[in-house]
Amino acid sequence: MKSASGTSRLLRNLRSLRVVVFHPSDHDGEEIIRQLQRIGCQVKAFWPPLEKLPEETDLVFLAVRPEVIGQDFAWLKAEETPPLIAVVNYENPTVVEAVINVNAQGVLASPVKSFGLLTSMVVARQLAAKDRDQAKQIERFEQRLNGIRKLTKAKGILMQTRGISEDQAYEIIRDQAMSKRVTTEEIATAIINANEILGFKGKSTNVIRDVDFLDKRSKPSGN
Amino acid sequence: MNQQNAPLRVGILFSKTGVTSGIESSQLQGTLLAIEEINGAGGIGGRELQAVYYDPCSSPNTYKALAEKLMANDGVRVILGCYMSSERKAVLPVVERANGLLFYPTLYEGFEYSPNVIYTGAAPNQNSVQLAEYMMREFGSRVYMVGSDYIYPYESNRIMSDLLLERGGEKVGERYLKLNAAANEFKDVFADIKNKKPDFIFSTVVGQATEFFYRAYADAELDPATMPIASLTTSETEVRQMSDGIATGHITAATYFQSIDSENNRRCVAKAKHRFGDDTVTNMCWEAAYFQTYLLASALSYVGNDSTQQLIPALLNTEFLAPQGMVKIDAENHHAYLTPRIGRVRHDGQFDILHEAKQPVKPDPYLVEHSLQDWSIRVNA
Repeated sequence: MKSASGTSRLLRNLRSLRVVVFHPSDHDGEEIIRQLQRIGCQVKAFWPPLEKLPEETDLVFLAVRPEVIGQDFAWLKAEETPPLIAVVNYENPTVVEAVINVNAQGVLASPVKSFGLLTSMVVARQLAAKDRDQAKQIERFEQRLNGIRKLTKAKGILMQTRGISEDQAYEIIRDQAMSKRVTTEEIATAIINANEILGFKGKSTNVIRDVDFLDKRSKPSGN
Repeated sequence: MNQQNAPLRVGILFSKTGVTSGIESSQLQGTLLAIEEINGAGGIGGRELQAVYYDPCSSPNTYKALAEKLMANDGVRVILGCYMSSERKAVLPVVERANGLLFYPTLYEGFEYSPNVIYTGAAPNQNSVQLAEYMMREFGSRVYMVGSDYIYPYESNRIMSDLLLERGGEKVGERYLKLNAAANEFKDVFADIKNKKPDFIFSTVVGQATEFFYRAYADAELDPATMPIASLTTSETEVRQMSDGIATGHITAATYFQSIDSENNRRCVAKAKHRFGDDTVTNMCWEAAYFQTYLLASALSYVGNDSTQQLIPALLNTEFLAPQGMVKIDAENHHAYLTPRIGRVRHDGQFDILHEAKQPVKPDPYLVEHSLQDWSIRVNA
């Protein structure tokens, strides 16, 4: 579980939220808007949904109605899409699938009650923040993994072209990085690039392509 | 008048005007016929069952306003009404807030339960599965789907698509037209259908557009013997609205047809004709509207008042001999046990019943994944 201070920040921020409500002007739509105003949010309401989200939107309520199922809104797929709470008045698979497709982090059932809306908002924002954090973390891991792969490949090149051990290859790369004040990943990239260029020119059999090398690593008994 | 013999008022909401007024008017007739019969037989323990009727004009918003009026101003606690799902969804919160009771006599897409509703039309496991099974066996599994643009056709087509996939079939087209679609809009659809050559056409077109749809089929000179329209919603009433027998040879799945050959049904049809004229036809929605009024009356008689809390237990699991056969309300989900049938339109606008379930099928409104196996073992082949 996240620390209590994170949760309270989500609650403290409620009043500064800029909320967009895509809902028909009916009892449910009015109830949502009134409750958001009671909470103290800045509310804008539209129906049908806009093609483009108003700038600086922190949270979206979207009525997932049969008449908008199948409509594609570009903002739904944008990277920085704010958290979304679906408002539903049917619970059949057609509508539930539509709720999944819009990537809702929360659901309000019709007829909407003022009670429960605030909790939905906080939970949706917490889920969205968690998603964002995890996405960033995954990106970092991917970068690191990529660096490790490059390093492994560069070591392989050095080992084969110079007939040295893995440890020795690593030492060369590390020393180069230290003396040039760059990362080992950058040195590894330079080695890989140089090997490709030199290999191409001289048609050297020592050229190791990424795929070949990885295949050998992952399937030692291959061929 | 004292409480002992004051009339019991019941609200009635079926449209006499608007896009679905044809079928809703027949539901109104079924309801009124039952009320008159009940009153003719002495009412509810001597009290008259009094209909308070308004015309909701096939509009969900009007439905909602009138439901509010019935509950707030007319002192009504029970409403018989609604055809389209959008109409039911509009009335539902009003009825729930007032802790009233809605009787809904129409086939629909399922996935709903309210303690304040009794559902007397077919759920998809009581008509879609049967229709898919029959059509795929008799005609093949390349299907073109045409529906009115609202939730019932979307969900029906989802179920039909799943059933097709189960048999290795194929959806070759899917089109939705507005409820108020004009006749010429169906021309396009049939140009595409002629192109794609499906084994059959699956239709969930409702209301006045139904006639345009069958007319466009006839104009396209297609042959019902080889590529029929299979419908969940085209009943005797829609067929009668068409001229020159253009629906002849097409197929409908329903839990009731006017042509059901039973003494009880013949008697009910005769009474309907006697009351509303010789050219009156009955249909699945008429029948549900008719028998649900009897279910209500019997519960009212048993309980002696119209309190929802007391009526519900009296309604659940009580069997009633309806024109379609024995029906009863499932205690868990408030939907009705009904008898699925497949019919083919004759020249006279009535249906030849091609298949009929051996016994009433338990309603299963939350069934996501239907299976063709469930039905085939129950068919009288």
